[in-house]
Amino acid sequence: MAPLISVENIRKVYGAGDVAVEALRGVNLTIDRGDYVAIMGPSGSGKSTLMHILGLLDTPSGGTYLLDGDEVSNLSRRRLAHLRNRSIGFVFQSFNLLPRASVLRNVELPLLYSGIGRRERQRRARGALELVGLADRIKHRPNELSGGQRQRAAIARALVNDPAVLMADEPTGNLDQQTGSEILALFNRLQQQGQTLIIVTHDQRVASCAQRVVQIVDGRILREQKRAA
Amino acid sequence: MNAVQFVREGFVEIREHYGRTLLQTLGVILGVASVVATLGMTAGMDARRQQYFRESGGTRLMGVYNQPPAELELTARQRARMGLTLEDAEAIRGAVDGFDLVVAEIARTHKVRAGATEVNLRITAIEPGFERMRDLGVARGRFLGEHDLATGASVAVLGSTRARELYGSANPVGKPLVVGDVTYTVIGVMTEKVFSFRRNSNHNAHEWMNRLLLVPITSYAKRHLGPTDDRIDEINLRLVSAEAHEEARDALEQLLRVRHGIDDFGVWDRHERIEQGNREGQVYNLTFLACGIIALLVGGIVITNIMLASFTERMREVGVRKALGATGWQVFVQFLVEALVVTICGAGVGLATGVLFTLGIGRALNVVMAFTPIMFVAAVGSAAVVGFLFGMYPAVRASRLDPVVALRYE
Repeated sequence: MAPLISVENIRKVYGAGDVAVEALRGVNLTIDRGDYVAIMGPSGSGKSTLMHILGLLDTPSGGTYLLDGDEVSNLSRRRLAHLRNRSIGFVFQSFNLLPRASVLRNVELPLLYSGIGRRERQRRARGALELVGLADRIKHRPNELSGGQRQRAAIARALVNDPAVLMADEPTGNLDQQTGSEILALFNRLQQQGQTLIIVTHDQRVASCAQRVVQIVDGRILREQKRAA
Repeated sequence: MNAVQFVREGFVEIREHYGRTLLQTLGVILGVASVVATLGMTAGMDARRQQYFRESGGTRLMGVYNQPPAELELTARQRARMGLTLEDAEAIRGAVDGFDLVVAEIARTHKVRAGATEVNLRITAIEPGFERMRDLGVARGRFLGEHDLATGASVAVLGSTRARELYGSANPVGKPLVVGDVTYTVIGVMTEKVFSFRRNSNHNAHEWMNRLLLVPITSYAKRHLGPTDDRIDEINLRLVSAEAHEEARDALEQLLRVRHGIDDFGVWDRHERIEQGNREGQVYNLTFLACGIIALLVGGIVITNIMLASFTERMREVGVRKALGATGWQVFVQFLVEALVVTICGAGVGLATGVLFTLGIGRALNVVMAFTPIMFVAAVGSAAVVGFLFGMYPAVRASRLDPVVALRYE
């Protein structure tokens, strides 16, 4: 069975000519199903760019990207949107919940774009909210929730379409120590249930939870540490 | 995402930004309101006009009157043959198809005496078909009949105003009426006819009918004209069908020209006058409509403007939606439907405003207003077209937004 994600010699250049900036200079990375990978590195190292490419939000300037064995770097925007919808779940540092919609409607959003009917949508959204322990807050607006609750709502939204991989960009960056730990505990639980996780972070605690820690510096993978499961 | 969900998203957007939505739709609201108000006004006037024609004999009326030619040099022969005669009326009856009523008329002023009252009044000598022609009713007694015409009976029928002037509150039927030195007997009083183009107005457009003093044309000719004088003043005509008015008119003119050898008559044609009025009405309608459409276009530009102004504010939202798997098409449709929902709601408010405004103007100016379903369809339809056209550009921009760029936007 092919690995879930396999990237080879991925490069990303912003701009052109003299002002061109190389954000990624040939990244090779393989991620299997069930992996819990932390991508670390200083600011400007290219780790966010890497995650955007892995998450199909951005396209690489060069190299190959096999998702579930299929080349995805040349797909149409429409196909990419479908893959983002069904195979990838995103969690952002600033939560990015739609402020005007209830928690339930926020979590339903990816299902809306999959064209799933209302009843089924609500059933699955409630299920995802139960999974993150937010079942009693579904009617609330995001601004009525604490930071940790917002991030859990965002995680429920990322999980609701049962994605192959959950990607998080600094998920604990806007949270205090205590709340951050709760989110990490949630990630650990998801990992134990077999969820593949890729997390971009500065947070050393995340690194201590992950099985693999990938260090990126200056657009290249500097080293990778593996921790026995 | 199906249509209902898109529309719901549109309403959520409106609910969350009442102020912005109101600003956005103000142009559309005013545009639709002005379209409704102007159309309501012209439709009201039009309906009033139609009613006026209906109540005064319909659209099939035509008439021939004496109109001496402008040239002064006429031969004695021509002068002798000039003017309409009873025989002309007979000839039209016999030779021209297309008229179902032909009524000869003589109208002259005489000294009239009823009891102690003596005044100069216009006497109209006609044939009984006039009753049907002008849709006259009888309030008391009876109208002139064919046998009155045949026997040349000295009988008269009065309009309601005339009856009051001459006899006060007494019943005139059976009373004598002296015209010149001939005594007629009043046999009927006509129903009062009232029509006004404006509301609460004292002006009665039908008043001339209430002032009629009618006698049979045969009686009048026998008693007031010399034995060789068969000149009449007018021939009233009613068409079988209003559509065939031009053919009938041509045949009529042809006949009279041959009989008189000279163009000494004029023809009035109500159907033609109505059509002319309609054409003028259409010009007004189009002008008003054009103003309304310009207002709607301005409203559309406002919509685009405000959507673009709020665009940066919503870039992050677009980025999130795309990250969660919205396709460009789905974002496009969402923005477009939002614009449509906003404009159609605006059109709804505009309709209500327009109707109230129209009723208000109608009351203030005492003009009758009317609403037709077409107006509502046109107003809402054009608002929807505006929403579609002017929502297109922001929608295209949103749909093309690169998710990474959109997400990074702070």
